[in-house]
Amino acid sequence: MTEQISALLDDEIALEDAEHLMAGMQTNGHAGEVWSQYHLIGDVMRGANALSPNFKQNLMAKIDLEPTVLSPNAAWVNEPKVLSEANELNEARSKKQALDVKSKLPATHLPVVWSVAASCAAVMVVGWMVLQTQVGNQAAPAMVAQAALSQEVATLPATSEQGVPAEYLMAHQASAPSASSYYIQSASYTE
Amino acid sequence: MRIKGFVLACLFASTLSSASQTVLAASDDDKWQILQKAALAAHALSYQGIFVCQSGQQSKSVQIKHFFDGQNEFARNVLLDGSPREVLSQGGDLIIYNPKNEKIVIEKRRGQNMFPAVLPANLAAVKQSYTVRTGDIERVAGREAQILFLEPKDDLRYSYRFWIDTEYGLILKSVMFNSRNEMMDSISFTQLNLVNTVDLDWFKPKIDSKKNYVMEDEVPAQADYNPSPHWMLKQLPAGYRKVDQMLRTVHGKPLPVTHVVFSDGLASVSLFIEPITSGVKPRAGHSVVGNTSFYSSVAGYLQITVLGEVPEATVAAIANSVVFVK
Repeated sequence: MTEQISALLDDEIALEDAEHLMAGMQTNGHAGEVWSQYHLIGDVMRGANALSPNFKQNLMAKIDLEPTVLSPNAAWVNEPKVLSEANELNEARSKKQALDVKSKLPATHLPVVWSVAASCAAVMVVGWMVLQTQVGNQAAPAMVAQAALSQEVATLPATSEQGVPAEYLMAHQASAPSASSYYIQSASYTE
Repeated sequence: MRIKGFVLACLFASTLSSASQTVLAASDDDKWQILQKAALAAHALSYQGIFVCQSGQQSKSVQIKHFFDGQNEFARNVLLDGSPREVLSQGGDLIIYNPKNEKIVIEKRRGQNMFPAVLPANLAAVKQSYTVRTGDIERVAGREAQILFLEPKDDLRYSYRFWIDTEYGLILKSVMFNSRNEMMDSISFTQLNLVNTVDLDWFKPKIDSKKNYVMEDEVPAQADYNPSPHWMLKQLPAGYRKVDQMLRTVHGKPLPVTHVVFSDGLASVSLFIEPITSGVKPRAGHSVVGNTSFYSSVAGYLQITVLGEVPEATVAAIANSVVFVK
């Protein structure tokens, strides 16, 4: 198990093949410790700044002060009117989710969750950057035009916009093609 | 068969009744009649030629050969620029031969809107959302063409301009403009003639035969007839109707995604509905890539994604028409 954890850390095991490891690290206290320690070793070897001794506990305490971190609608809390009964239900549900997750994960296992979350975030950031570049390269006029129309955009939370997966554009072109889409493939349709 | 024969007879009768009639077309009915004839001619004539397709910064030439034997329709479209892709269609079935690395990938699709058959056979929906107006006579691909404008009655769709062959009735050129009258998309014949072929020797792909031909990984979409208990559509934007609904397996998504297609007769919009994946921040906002508008939003536990070659107001209105049902 520890060897596999080490391999996962070194990117020698694909994330999607590592579900059993994740599960193992969540249920097995020792494996979770190993994961944390390997990260610590790596940080020290790379000369990363050492964190204060109680960093994890302090961080978790601060996160506890933010009750709706896992809410699926977190980004929409400021949105007026859209809230309604549906959202009350959401909030109740997300609080329950937050509690569920916490109760399942004793403090020592949290780094696992954090590293997974970090990977997801990295993937999203990369995806978004790729889309941004494409938009910049291929559709500069459209972007300029969009800036003029940005009134509506401004009402949306800026941090929540991410790229729409290219699969959706491909699915759209497969089921509802425009006459030119048979011959000219759009910017985010990569071959 | 009997209907097609009749339709063909009408087509030829009206084609023979001289071009001057189309030039002098006065009433709206006459103008719609020209479009109706163009929709039909694209299917019922046999022709070959080259057209140029232009969208954004890109432009591609395509060689087309279309053959109608009175019963069945065959067409072969060969991309002349860049990767030698070929699109073969027989009736509504369409097969794309797409060279990818060392293979030729075969993709099956449902054929629709293939130039010059860009107009639907039934123009009722189009009449509801667009007004028609005649323009000048211009030369396109060495042929005389009548210009017809299709202008939207509201700001939920783009406008179109068609150049229609005064003799054959075929669409020679089709251009889409946005509300600021900027050209979004253009397809235009540079060369066209009618043909009298009987053989079908040409109806096969001629891409590198040394390469392996492989079927694409099954496009995982299945028809979805069941009304969902979790969402419903309220107040679609004017003129748009639901034309299709399917369940799609999307790479990287644990659950199938519902894909709903809307159309106003000319423009199409896709709506994707999926449950929000826990731990993944939901998407929200607008973007525009090329001619395609995107809009993401959240309804209850659902991630809504809408995209199409339509104005941003339309994708937003369709996204907002989805109501989460508890």
